[in-house]
Amino acid sequence: MFEEPDLPAAWELFVRSTFLHQFVADQGQWLWPVLETLHYLGLSLLLGTIGMFDLRVLGMGKAIPPGTLHKLIPIGIAGFAVNALTGVTFFSGFPEQYFYNPSFWWKGTFMAIAGMNVAVFYLSSAFREVQAMPAGSDAPFRAKVIAATSLGAWIAVLICGRLLTFYRPPFFH
Amino acid sequence: MWVRGPSLLVFPLIVSAHTLGMGFLAGTSAGIDFRILGVAKRVPLTALEKFYPIMWAALVVNFISGTLLLIGYPWKAVTNPVFYVKLSCIALGVFLVVKIRRQVLNQPNLDDDKIRHRAKLLAWASLGCWAGAILAGRLLAYTYTWLEVGVRGGF
Repeated sequence: MFEEPDLPAAWELFVRSTFLHQFVADQGQWLWPVLETLHYLGLSLLLGTIGMFDLRVLGMGKAIPPGTLHKLIPIGIAGFAVNALTGVTFFSGFPEQYFYNPSFWWKGTFMAIAGMNVAVFYLSSAFREVQAMPAGSDAPFRAKVIAATSLGAWIAVLICGRLLTFYRPPFFH
Repeated sequence: MWVRGPSLLVFPLIVSAHTLGMGFLAGTSAGIDFRILGVAKRVPLTALEKFYPIMWAALVVNFISGTLLLIGYPWKAVTNPVFYVKLSCIALGVFLVVKIRRQVLNQPNLDDDKIRHRAKLLAWASLGCWAGAILAGRLLAYTYTWLEVGVRGGF
């Protein structure tokens, strides 16, 4: 799966035919660093706000009712949106650098875990229980498991993302 | 040369730790800044102090990982003016983190308009410092002129 074929596969030819690929190819050398900077700013917002919420559920800063801290989550979602957009642009620019890269698939796996964890949190009663917690209270065990999973999954996403550089296939062969 | 070392292990781990520390330091500080700026208004300000150990731990991780990266490629950083911009942003950012704790989180008179205005100014300055540090840090990979003595780099 991680072995790049001698000739580009059909999916790769398609990605290379898109507007977004052309956009990356047409820009000067500064587009990439600018997108990377946005990606790093986005990840900081995500990790900062969602991390604080998760840590509160796990028991840090107990004087804060988690429901009030949850109001910071939209900032984390905005960070995620920035990263989804810049991420898709990265992929469109150099699709084979990601597709034939084990780190990319690990990152995707951890993102899927984080996503399913979000779904479990909001669709189960865990969210309502946490929202109802007053200052000073300890979260139910299930909510703590969800918070720890969230923290661990996003940290893993970040590490796999940073490792992409080191496991990509050779350029232009 | 242990840093550059068996390059598929040590170096990637150091940069991963550095990025993780960046996310937690800048991210947590930004979360506190947004609270001061009016998002999540009902979060008690004093209690946010409890998240400071996260930022200090992240700062320690980044100081150590950053020093190792510097040892690995000393010429690359010290010959690049952007490196000093990054260090200045971080120094100011950390200074503001301390200042915000003293003058905002532990401030009993936040109802005073003047004090509140000042608090918001500090929060914006803090966000600016972290954005500047991250921008400068990322640009380090693109703006260096010497990778090591005698080896040119950059575009």
